[in-house]
This record gives sequence, C-alpha cells and structure tokens, in this order.
Amino acid sequence: MTFKPLNENDIVNTRTLLHEAIPLTGSIISGSYVTNAAPDNIKYYPHGMFQTVYDYPYASSSANHVFDVTCGFSSQSALVAGPNGMETKKNNIYGQMAQLLVGYNATGSVQLFDEDGNLFDPVGDKMKEIFVVPFSRLLVKDEIKKETFQMILDVDTHATTQPFTNTLTISDLGASNEYRVNSPVGEYGILYAEDNSSILDLVNHGNADRIKTVDSVDYLRCGLIFYQAGIAVLTGSVFGNLLTTPLAGATSEIFYNDGSNDLGIDDVFASSSIDDCGSSLLHRVQNIQFNNTTELNSTVYFCRVNHNEFNYSSNPTYLENSRVRVKTQSTDEPVSYITTIGLYNDRNELLATAKLSEALKKSPSTEFTIRARLDY
Amino acid sequence: MGFLDNSGDIILDVVLTDHGRMLLAKGDGTFQITKFALGDEEIDYSLYDKNHSSGSAYYDLQILQTPILEAFTNNASSMKTRLQTYTNLELLFLPVLRLNDSMQINETVTNGPFIVAADAAAEDGNGGSSDQGVAVTEDGKIRQGFMLGESLGGTIIKVDQGLDTTEVSPKRRLDDDLKETSYILQIDNRLGKIVDTQGTLAAFDYIDDDNIAYYTLDLGDTFVSENTNDTKDPKEVIDGPRGTRTEFRIQSSMDLNTSSFLFEQLGGTTTLANAEAGGAGTSSVLFIDTNVRLTGVKTGVMIDVPVRFVRLA
Repeated sequence: MTFKPLNENDIVNTRTLLHEAIPLTGSIISGSYVTNAAPDNIKYYPHGMFQTVYDYPYASSSANHVFDVTCGFSSQSALVAGPNGMETKKNNIYGQMAQLLVGYNATGSVQLFDEDGNLFDPVGDKMKEIFVVPFSRLLVKDEIKKETFQMILDVDTHATTQPFTNTLTISDLGASNEYRVNSPVGEYGILYAEDNSSILDLVNHGNADRIKTVDSVDYLRCGLIFYQAGIAVLTGSVFGNLLTTPLAGATSEIFYNDGSNDLGIDDVFASSSIDDCGSSLLHRVQNIQFNNTTELNSTVYFCRVNHNEFNYSSNPTYLENSRVRVKTQSTDEPVSYITTIGLYNDRNELLATAKLSEALKKSPSTEFTIRARLDY
Repeated sequence: MGFLDNSGDIILDVVLTDHGRMLLAKGDGTFQITKFALGDEEIDYSLYDKNHSSGSAYYDLQILQTPILEAFTNNASSMKTRLQTYTNLELLFLPVLRLNDSMQINETVTNGPFIVAADAAAEDGNGGSSDQGVAVTEDGKIRQGFMLGESLGGTIIKVDQGLDTTEVSPKRRLDDDLKETSYILQIDNRLGKIVDTQGTLAAFDYIDDDNIAYYTLDLGDTFVSENTNDTKDPKEVIDGPRGTRTEFRIQSSMDLNTSSFLFEQLGGTTTLANAEAGGAGTSSVLFIDTNVRLTGVKTGVMIDVPVRFVRLA
C-alpha cells in the first residue's frame, strides 16, 4: 500500500493572526530621494486627485507603493476655494471618501466624517476638511492592528531651521478596547493627538470638549483610522487649532509655503492644489508606524505513520536484484527513510508536498505523527 | 532526571503543487485532500552499509547525512518513489518492473528507445507511394522497435512485474500483497496517446497543468493481464515469481501527426534508414524524445520507458 487515507480526525482547520511591524520614517517619505528639488519617490498624476508615495524612486522596479495622500473638504465646509483651489475635486474627494467610509443616512444622503464616530450627534465634531492617507495593501495586509497606529507630525511653523523640534503624536489611543463598528468598511478607531512639546495648550485652544485625558495627559481627537480599509483620515483642524497662535519663536502661523505664498492650514485647503495639500502634510511627517495583521487560515493534516506502516520503499535503489538492500535475512527489521510528504486527492493527483529537513528513519520500532500544515 | 524527548510530533509547512493550484482555482471540488504518501526520492539505499565495521549505528550514517532539497512544486517531479506498507515485515524480496523485450515484437531499437512514426509518411511513405518511410524495410516489414503512430501497428511495449531474482523459483506464487493489480501510466499528451494491442484508445483520468496525461490501467482490462508462466523461459525477463504484465502501443497525437511545430520546438533532427531498395538509403527525420512512466498503484514500483517520436523532415 502506497497511500494512507486521512479520516476526519486527521484534518483540522485553524486560524492564526500574524502581525508585522511597519515603520515608515519621515526621511523615506520626504527628503531622501530628491532630484532638482523634486522628490523622485512621490508620483504626481495629471488628474491631480492624489499623489502616491513609494519607498524608492518610483521609476525603479524596486520601488514599493507605500501610501497615497489626498485631501478634500465638504460642500458644507465654510471654506471657499480660491482660484487654484480645485474646489470641485476636493468636494469630490470628500464625497467619495465619506460615501465609502462613513456611508449614508436613512434618507440616502452621504454622511460627514465624525470625530468620535457618533453620527447622530448633529453638531460640533464633524470633520469637514480632511487629509486622507490610504495605505498600500502591501503594508496593511488584511488590516491594521488596533492600538498600534502612530504618526508623528511636525507642528512648527513652516521652514523652521530645525524641523521636528515641536511635534505632535497621533495615535489610536486605547483602540483595542474602544473602537467603532458603524462604518460600511468595518471597524475604525479614533485618532488622538498628543502634544510632545508641552508648548501647545490643547485645552485652552477651545478644544476642551474634544479632549480625552489619560494619566493626566491630554489627548485631542483629530481623526479616524479605518482598520480593515487601511485608511487614516485626519481633520485639517488639528493643525488649525494648534497653530492659531504662533508657536514660540515663530512670527506667524505658516503651515506651508507653496513657493510664493505663506499659507495657514485653512489657506492650504482653500487655495492650494490637492498635490500641494498632500505635500504640506508629507513635509511634516517625522514617522508613521503600525502593525499589520494577516489572517492565516490553515488546514493541518495529521499524517499518522504507525509502527507497521511505510517500512519499505519503492525506491529503485532499495533493491538489488529484487532483494531488499537493508536486510541480510528476512527476519531483519526493514528500514526506510522519509524525506517528503505528499498529499493527494481521491484520483491520486498530487495536490501538495512538504519536505523534511533531514531524512527520517522509519522502522517497525518507530512511529510518527507528522503535522503537515497548509496555509491559505 | 532528564527531560523526555518530545520530538515525535513533526510540523511541516506544505506547498501546493502547480496542479494543486490549478484544481484549487477550478473550484470544482477536485481539490480535496483525502490521503497522504511518504517519499524518499533523495535517498540512495546503496549507501546503506550492513557490514560497517563500527556496528549497526553506522549502517545508515551516510544516508542520514543526505541533504534534502526544498519541495518541488511540479507535481510530476515530486513523490516519484514512495514508501510502502506491507503487513509482512519479513519480506526479503520486493517486486520490480522490467521491460520485456525478449520477443522481436517487443524489442526496442538496438541500444535505443522505442520509435513512434508520427504519420503515414514516416511509417511507410504513405502506404508505399514513397520509399522514404522509416518504420518499414524495403520489403515492407516493420523495423525492430518501431511503432506505427497513425495506423497503430508494430512494436508493442511490454512491461512485466515480479521478483527478478534467481534466488526464488518462478514456481512460487507471488503474494497478493506484492502482485500489482493497477498501474498509473503517464505520457505527454501533446505527443501521444495510449492504445491497447488491438488499437483501442485508453481513456485518460486527467491531464495536469504540464500536459501530462494520467491513465489508470487495471488488471482485467485490455492492458493488464496476469503472467501465469511459472517456468524458466527465455521469453520471460522476470526470473522469479511473476505478477502482472502490461502491454500497450502509442498513437501519435494529432499535433505530431499533422504538423512539425512541436518537433521544431521540442526536438531535433537525425537520419534513419528508410525503405529504399538495397537497404542503404536514409531519410532525414525530426524527432522528439520523451519517457512514458508506468507506476504500480499498490507496490509503487516504477519504470520509465524511453520513446522517440519521428516525422520526416
């Protein structure tokens, strides 16, 4: 007999979650790959709806897609776009993202992004101007692991001589125990900003009702992270609120300079192109990190090799003139060596194989259970 | 007090074969693992040294040092030799497959393969209208080792199973455990198909992703019969107890029969004697070399039969 049937007690299905740490340093995102002041690893498109960040100059086949950046504001926003403000495109981006990530209300209208996920709260905490960062499926895999997302952003005035002196850490604080499930794209958590420099008075900038205090540290609600979709949404107001008053040593609340104009955050949303909006954010990223999750479904086949089984071989070298080489006389124990497991269907078709790292001696005095795991 | 050895449970990561992936993608329910087998194709048992001067612990030292390759994903390349279960642990002899070329109709070309003439022109110059055919002599007899791939005549491939040893008399019956009753035959489906000695086409079980067709041939059908000859006989190649016999011919595929495309892609050119008067003439032919593999389902024994397909250049 060559084949041994597997019965229902020999096959078991398991599910394992694998996690990988994904660190994205700011130097990859901006500054490392520059030719003539233009980044080689950021791809801009003629349609101008978003830009794509790669981990290497994108013309190279070695480059991997890391994430995209875009921004938009709702038609309900108080902002009025300037002449280059691409208002329609920004409205479209907001509408698309809201439709996808927040969904519709009972009347079929697209709902606005809400800072705390309470979509029935009519006022106050709607995010009408947003940065959207969809991460590549290559990094996210099946989903972002809850309470692992962190983004550190520079909150100094634009073009300070020493960037990243004052930073803001944005994270999904406590999300493993507190997340929302009322999105059409699965679970999402609330992003909170922590002032690392202790120079930004979060509470006294009119943010008191958006503050969560943990261990005497104030955290400001500033966006949402959609775990299965792998998309982070940041409210533009996080910068607006923090930078309303000039930082120490700065003379104005400059969020971005588009080459000719110093712009505040509202100006960027209103009058800059989507590409410039994205660049304004990318220049401020010091670090992004999260853990991804891969859902591994496995079937384990318990190949039970009993003492009286598989002791002979059909290997041509096993015989010399039909005589078993490993025996001198018939009463000697037969011996064989296992190197490979083959898994078959009823039609004897070889569907899967597994190899041992070294030959395993099999004789009537030994038996094994070999767990062959097939991952999907 | 030492720890107990807990190494009895071995965990292995399995990879799907290319054929397995194909069946998985089909989604028709054929991807259902129901049994397993164990292989040992890297092992050279001739390294087993029963007479090692340092004792039995050293008998298999070289075998255990054999490096093992990672898994091949080509289904036809893996699990070529499998471990066997026999309830009788005192077996000293095991069956083999031997090509029986003891009769003229079963012979290969001298020191060569079986040759299949792919079309009528290569067989006999389209029924004798030309003398360029390579499968027949000038007097119309089929040459040794040649099969007629179109008209299905000529040499019959015959494979015998049994204990090929003079230490056991052929008078002894082969144990039922050792008598093979079913064979899997593999042939490249682009090149040929299997027919019985009467020219009846066999039905294949399936064709894998590499175009290898798999046929099951069972005892009692027109391909497999019991070898009841228990005498010492020059027509037998199995010296000891005999089991079953498989006989078949090969029909050339439609592609080889009608086109030289595959010959140019997979083969080469050579010359073969043709049917010109005087016996000295040769024809230039295109050829493809391949193997037909016959494997015993019960005993796992295997033989590769070399076959050459030819067509006039």
